[in-house]
Amino acid sequence: MSFLHDPQLGNTAITLMAALVLVLQIAMVAQRWLVTNIRVFGVQSFVLAAIAATIAWFNHANHLYVAALLMLLLKALLLPIVLERLVAKVGIRHSIHPVINVPLSVLISGGLTLLGYVVAESFYHPEETSTAATLGHNMLPIAISLFLIGFFMIVNRRNGLTQVLGLLSMENGLFLAAISLTYGVPLVVELGIFFDVLVGAMVLGILMYRIGETFDSMDVSRLRRLRG
Amino acid sequence: MMATLAKAALQLLLLLIAAPLLSGFIRTLKARLQMRRGPGILQPLRDVWKLLRKDMVIPETASWIFAATPYVYFSTAMLVGLLVPMIATAAPLRLFGGVLAVIYLLALGRFFMALGALDAGSSFGGLGSSREMTISAIAEPAMMLAIFTVAITANSTDLSEMARVSVSQSWKFLAPSQMLAFSGLFIALLAETGRIPVDNPATHLELTMIHEAMVLEYSGPYLALIEWGASIRQLVLMTLLVNTFFPFGLSANWTPINLIPGLAFYLLKLLLLAGAVVLVETSNAKLRLFRVPELLAVAFILGALALISTFLF
Repeated sequence: MSFLHDPQLGNTAITLMAALVLVLQIAMVAQRWLVTNIRVFGVQSFVLAAIAATIAWFNHANHLYVAALLMLLLKALLLPIVLERLVAKVGIRHSIHPVINVPLSVLISGGLTLLGYVVAESFYHPEETSTAATLGHNMLPIAISLFLIGFFMIVNRRNGLTQVLGLLSMENGLFLAAISLTYGVPLVVELGIFFDVLVGAMVLGILMYRIGETFDSMDVSRLRRLRG
Repeated sequence: MMATLAKAALQLLLLLIAAPLLSGFIRTLKARLQMRRGPGILQPLRDVWKLLRKDMVIPETASWIFAATPYVYFSTAMLVGLLVPMIATAAPLRLFGGVLAVIYLLALGRFFMALGALDAGSSFGGLGSSREMTISAIAEPAMMLAIFTVAITANSTDLSEMARVSVSQSWKFLAPSQMLAFSGLFIALLAETGRIPVDNPATHLELTMIHEAMVLEYSGPYLALIEWGASIRQLVLMTLLVNTFFPFGLSANWTPINLIPGLAFYLLKLLLLAGAVVLVETSNAKLRLFRVPELLAVAFILGALALISTFLF
């Protein structure tokens, strides 16, 4: 089974999965249905967990397995389930109305990817041979684009719940940057970020629920007026 | 010279016969998936044969464009068919610009089709033309970007050269750029051949039709030429897709010993792609016309990302 340790194979697998992560991110921008959006986010987190596990396998970095497992349990399973429950509970209309229309949003995401690439290019020095240690070093442009597109999603959407999704996918970008460049920040920091975002998402979820109850919609643009 | 002619003749024959059969196969498979019996694989060939022997009705308002359109549509499809490697890596014809010639010849056929539909003077024709042009204006750049991705990897826009290079580096197709380009081109293929998320080939419902609205005024041999041409275009686009991205089994030269396994592989790949198209068609509903640009924007971005990622990885 020596081919399972071949860095070339790892490189192919990781670049493929990273491209898939990027495509899923753009799919989230293009997707109009809230529930599908949440599921796409779940799949994206799952692929990220797979990337982390692959890097852990080729570098024998065991602490990355923990990160992958956490990613899988919390962001690929728990969060989508919680968010879907929330959608069912509030019973809001399930389609998203972005500020900018969908084709233009998709084009802007493409532009942001380009920007991510331009920014990351100055850090990128292609190595001649791909060894286990350099695995995933070309992931930085994708991580930056994930971050930018996530940010764009937050700005572009009025629905509070999808803004939470944007925030979470931004965090996915950070995770990708961390695992591909440094093989994970120390585990404690990793755990800190994880639970921070998790708790943040939970709190936001409750907040969204309250907004939904009060205004019969999750449209945050209705929050302008003060109510006594 | 003789050898080139023989190759061209062989490929033309394959195009003429395989294209209606492929349309028939897609129709039958779709019918079976929907628990219907379906008309049988030979039906499009029978249709063409019957239409060729029928009388024509030509609208009084029509000019020469109406009569020229079927010929232009059919012959551009055939010409493009000669430019694309089907069973051997070397296509029988090499034109300037290679893949650019392919895209623009297809566009020329489409342009005449839209003109012919307008020329007939019915309101449906105009409606069909405007829809077709709207869609192709977005589908075409997506197609170009996706194919350029392969062209950059192969360092040539010549399709035969592209096929030769991709045969020599067999596992290259797993690179992200290739996958992205493939998915972009697949969506563009659905749009260009009028398949379900974009257009429904099986309906004459005025609200939704695109291709059918354009050919509404045509009858007899003209209609036969158009339908035949449309199925050849479909075959050519699908060939482009399977042979540039999955070049397995393309025979390196035109000797009979290599051609037979080449043909078998080619048909197998085509049938698999047709199966994928049928799956998409049966599992999706037709999109609202105003939602189509969203789908095509995704195809465009996939193509653009593919192009970016050739420089990235």
